[in-house]
Amino acid sequence: MEIVESAVHDEARQHAEEAALAALVDQYASTLYRVAFSVLRNQQDAEDAVQEAFLRVLRHRETLGEIRDHRVWLVRIVWNIVLDRKRRAKTRPETDDIADLSRVLPAKGLTAEQSASALQHHARVLQCVEKLPAREREVILLSAFEELSSVEIAAVLGVTESSVRSRLFRARNLLAELLQHKRSTK
Amino acid sequence: MIPTTEDRFDRSAGALAEEETLGIIAMLPAPAGLEDRIKAGIHSAPRRGMVIAWPFESPRNWIHSTGMRVAAAAAIVVAVAGGGWGVYSHIQVAPVPSAFVDPQLPNGAGRFSTAGAMHVPQTVEGPIVASPVPEKKVQETGKSSQKSPPISAKKSKAGGSNSATHEEPVR
Repeated sequence: MEIVESAVHDEARQHAEEAALAALVDQYASTLYRVAFSVLRNQQDAEDAVQEAFLRVLRHRETLGEIRDHRVWLVRIVWNIVLDRKRRAKTRPETDDIADLSRVLPAKGLTAEQSASALQHHARVLQCVEKLPAREREVILLSAFEELSSVEIAAVLGVTESSVRSRLFRARNLLAELLQHKRSTK
Repeated sequence: MIPTTEDRFDRSAGALAEEETLGIIAMLPAPAGLEDRIKAGIHSAPRRGMVIAWPFESPRNWIHSTGMRVAAAAAIVVAVAGGGWGVYSHIQVAPVPSAFVDPQLPNGAGRFSTAGAMHVPQTVEGPIVASPVPEKKVQETGKSSQKSPPISAKKSKAGGSNSATHEEPVR
């Protein structure tokens, strides 16, 4: 009888875990996708990264009850995945970046010329962001997400909050210098 | 955690206009049906290690019955005991001799023989001392060799003195 009862408990627990995981997907898949896209800048790659993140959660679903902040935990998982993928992937040509951006960036109320000009501008900014040192780049990318506070960014990166602030300051200065240099050389 | 107004203010302080690009990318909506695709992927993922099923039908939980446990334990005991007996029965112990005989060696000392070889030490040749020869006597002897003296003279000389024999050069 004990065996039958434990089997029932196992099934019930499995169902509960699946329901919890489905709830996490509904709640955070969109956020995780945006975080992944901000680094990879490719829809399919970003979706794959989110999928991999949830598969990792599935593998470690026993620890779900111990996690205090699921959102930060999930963002940290997907952040590590996308950084790893980015490291392994080859550098994309600039034309690919522009083509991908033209597909996803909103262009409502803009003429064709304005749209093209905006695209060039965005591509230039992204190029300069890519030239930033890794620490500064990570902070400036995550700071673009309004739903992430500096405390949460610090938790995702595994650093202190003051470190996040100082890195963000440096990143902005460097980005301004790079953009200024680019404008002057044109 | 919801970010406070103060925190948002700090983060936007000193922000560049160019950061708007990053903000636009961060605000992009996720593609439609993303959640469903992820859920489908999770459902299709393998949960545990697959075990190849036994092809014959068997009643559920048969392995947990007491009889099967006893039988399995007995089988393990028989296998272990049988294996041990098999090893023990195949070992042949050599008989222990009552006395040990030392083998006879060709040399009593048990060493290699010299095979009759003799060790001869190398000797160093000493200097040869030559006695000095006077020039006159050499000339006389040169003349005497040119003219052979008569036998009578030879005899008289031989009888007279032995100095000639003494002065003969050593060659």
